[in-house]
Amino acid sequence: MSKIVRSIKNVASGYSSVQVLVRNATSNDPSGPTTYDMEEISSYTYTSQTDFMEIMDMLDRRLNDKGKNWRHVAKSLTVLDYLVRFGSEKCVLWSKDNLYIIKTLREFIHIDEADNDQGAIIRVKAKELVSLLRDDERLRHERSLAADAKDGRRSR
Amino acid sequence: MSRAEVDLQISVKKACNTDEVPPKRKHVRACIVYTWDHKNSRAFWNAVKIQPLQSDQVQSFKALIMIHKVLQEGHPNTLKDGYRNRDFISSLATIFPSQGTAYGRLINQYDKFILKKLDFHRNNPGFNGTFEYEEYISLRAVHDPNEGYDSILQLMDLQDLIDDFQKLIFATIHQTPNNLCKVSALVPLIAESYGIYKFCISMLRALYQQLGSDEALAGLVERFESQHFMLRDFFTDCHGIKFLTSLVTIPRLANNPPNVQASDGGSAPISR
Repeated sequence: MSKIVRSIKNVASGYSSVQVLVRNATSNDPSGPTTYDMEEISSYTYTSQTDFMEIMDMLDRRLNDKGKNWRHVAKSLTVLDYLVRFGSEKCVLWSKDNLYIIKTLREFIHIDEADNDQGAIIRVKAKELVSLLRDDERLRHERSLAADAKDGRRSR
Repeated sequence: MSRAEVDLQISVKKACNTDEVPPKRKHVRACIVYTWDHKNSRAFWNAVKIQPLQSDQVQSFKALIMIHKVLQEGHPNTLKDGYRNRDFISSLATIFPSQGTAYGRLINQYDKFILKKLDFHRNNPGFNGTFEYEEYISLRAVHDPNEGYDSILQLMDLQDLIDDFQKLIFATIHQTPNNLCKVSALVPLIAESYGIYKFCISMLRALYQQLGSDEALAGLVERFESQHFMLRDFFTDCHGIKFLTSLVTIPRLANNPPNVQASDGGSAPISR
């Protein structure tokens, strides 16, 4: 049901196909984003500047979403973490420029109706991503590993 | 007034309402993000000033927690703007009697600490709000030992104030469900005291390398070691509170203070 509503919203708000991709990958569905989703998104960060900006703009909005939509935030952090490793260099620069958005998520709290703190997963993801972005050496290492893995997949 | 400022005002109002619960993180975060988006915090301070803080103690206390958080995590300009509003901040301490009710004393002590923090940042603009480890500070201390000595003294004064304040908080926590409001003030204090601790270690080490075992440093080391034990006990106390352990990583300190005279320089940067 929510999928239908989302597809209507996508048309009504006039989102581009890349943005729809990001929105679907970071939706409120309990599963996903799949590796394929993230691979597809990261490939668009290499194409045009507009595609890149649209992806980052959408992630920015998802990251600042309210507590009820904690899945948006958690999934956006997953996607951003993937982009920092596999996406174009611009993704790293963007994340460093906007580090405060991620940093301030390290204390994210959301208590759901069942009294569970769903923010825990976001706090862990945000902490991990911040420490990766701060450590240039490790980041370079991770990106070269990621590049190797990608080449390996292609030649297979 | 722009749309963003209206939203900011709503966030400030919600962050320091009269409910005796921790200030909601999402509203505090909105204030922090605003200062980065606009690279200043004037609208934030204006919004704080129009809150009816003098009418309710809980509200005042929550406002101080929020101010502390925004000073820590906000854009660096927030610290400068904060200093300009020094009079306003110091006026908050005078509203409620510091004797009698628990919140009055807490507000008084918290206010004193925040003022001291603002003064420190004005004298030492190289430090950021959470005292995150930056190499160049300790390098500069080596080039100018006098200045380094002075900075360490000021850092230790701040550390003492944090310690006084956390002890006061622990002393006022009783077995009531309303505790979390008081406990949440410990969150920014943990990060800050650990940052100061890390800086003291690296600066003391840098000074030792420069001056050798100077007699003048012996006093500092003694004070540092006593602060190490204070801090270790503080973190141990915090480990006992589930609200805190689930929210932030509380560092564990070794039983014995680190040797600042060793020149290994192997102090790892703060990980949060």
